[in-house]
Amino acid sequence: MTARKIFSFGKYLLIAAGVTVLGGLAFLYSGLYPMGADVPHNTLTIWALETLRERSIVRAASDIEVPEDLGSSDHLLKGGADYNDMCAGCHLKPGKMQSDFTLGLYPAPPNLALHGDEHDHDEGQNGQVRRFWIIKHGIKASGMPAWGPGHDDERIWNMVAFLDRLPTLSPEQYQILTARGETNVDDN
Amino acid sequence: MKTKTLSFAIALSTFAFALSAQAHDPKEHMKDAENPDCSAMKNMDHSKMDMDDPVMQAMMKQCMQDMQHDEASESDGHADEEHEADTDGEESAEE
Ligand code: HEC
Ligand SMILES: [Cu+2]
Repeated sequence: MTARKIFSFGKYLLIAAGVTVLGGLAFLYSGLYPMGADVPHNTLTIWALETLRERSIVRAASDIEVPEDLGSSDHLLKGGADYNDMCAGCHLKPGKMQSDFTLGLYPAPPNLALHGDEHDHDEGQNGQVRRFWIIKHGIKASGMPAWGPGHDDERIWNMVAFLDRLPTLSPEQYQILTARGETNVDDN
Repeated sequence: MKTKTLSFAIALSTFAFALSAQAHDPKEHMKDAENPDCSAMKNMDHSKMDMDDPVMQAMMKQCMQDMQHDEASESDGHADEEHEADTDGEESAEE
């Protein structure tokens, strides 16, 4: 009888699920998981985490709008100074290929001064919105802090604008753009 | 008096805390502010510079200040402007 078959199949499924949960709990408590940042995830975990991250950001950022004239020189200057003060240690700058943070953090902070080859989702408006969201909210269980507390949206957009141009800058251009100098404190 | 010392200590730590909470104001970063190194600018062939490029415009702005060319009317600071981040969860930048 089919109903009976389905019933016994369901029973096995339930048992299997129970065993999996118990096994998972046993693993959690066993302490066998390598917690250190110097032991990379396996490919499956990397895939799962990246999918989780990207799907979550796309959904959460879906109704953010990019302000107009984002690429103007004023925005670049303000964003550049902030980037240099708060981000370059982890995300590097032209002429700097590694830091203690890029060597030691896992996941490693990407070098934002290079053209993202693997990150094709960083082009255009979607990329700007994605970056705005990431900078404002940070990324859980990674070294990426949320900058929303303490920085208003405008300052975050300025950094997004700067990031668009960062890969095209020479070390000299970077120095000029990011120097706060004496007179450039205006933060409006 | 013991309470005096104690309340002083509390006041001091509150003050220190308040200071640290503002650490991300741009003015705070001024301690270790660098000046733009515009020598690279000066050696550039000005005829080859693309003046429509915001990066170039931004560099000019930085180095104009460096060379004391006063553009005061255009870039008078709003440095005294308070910015208590308006973190009301609003995602759009345009106010
Ligand atoms: C302590 C180190 C650290 C600092 C400081 C830091 N970040 Fe990050 N950031 C990270 C890490 C780590 C990641 C990668 C997270 C991941 O892969 O899940 C990241 C990711 C990002 C990304 C997404 C990159 C991509 O394309 O996937 C952006 C954009 C970013 N950070 C911008 C910034 C900005 C702007 C600042 C400065 C305001 C900043 N970060 C400061 C560590 C840092
Ligand atoms: Cu800051």
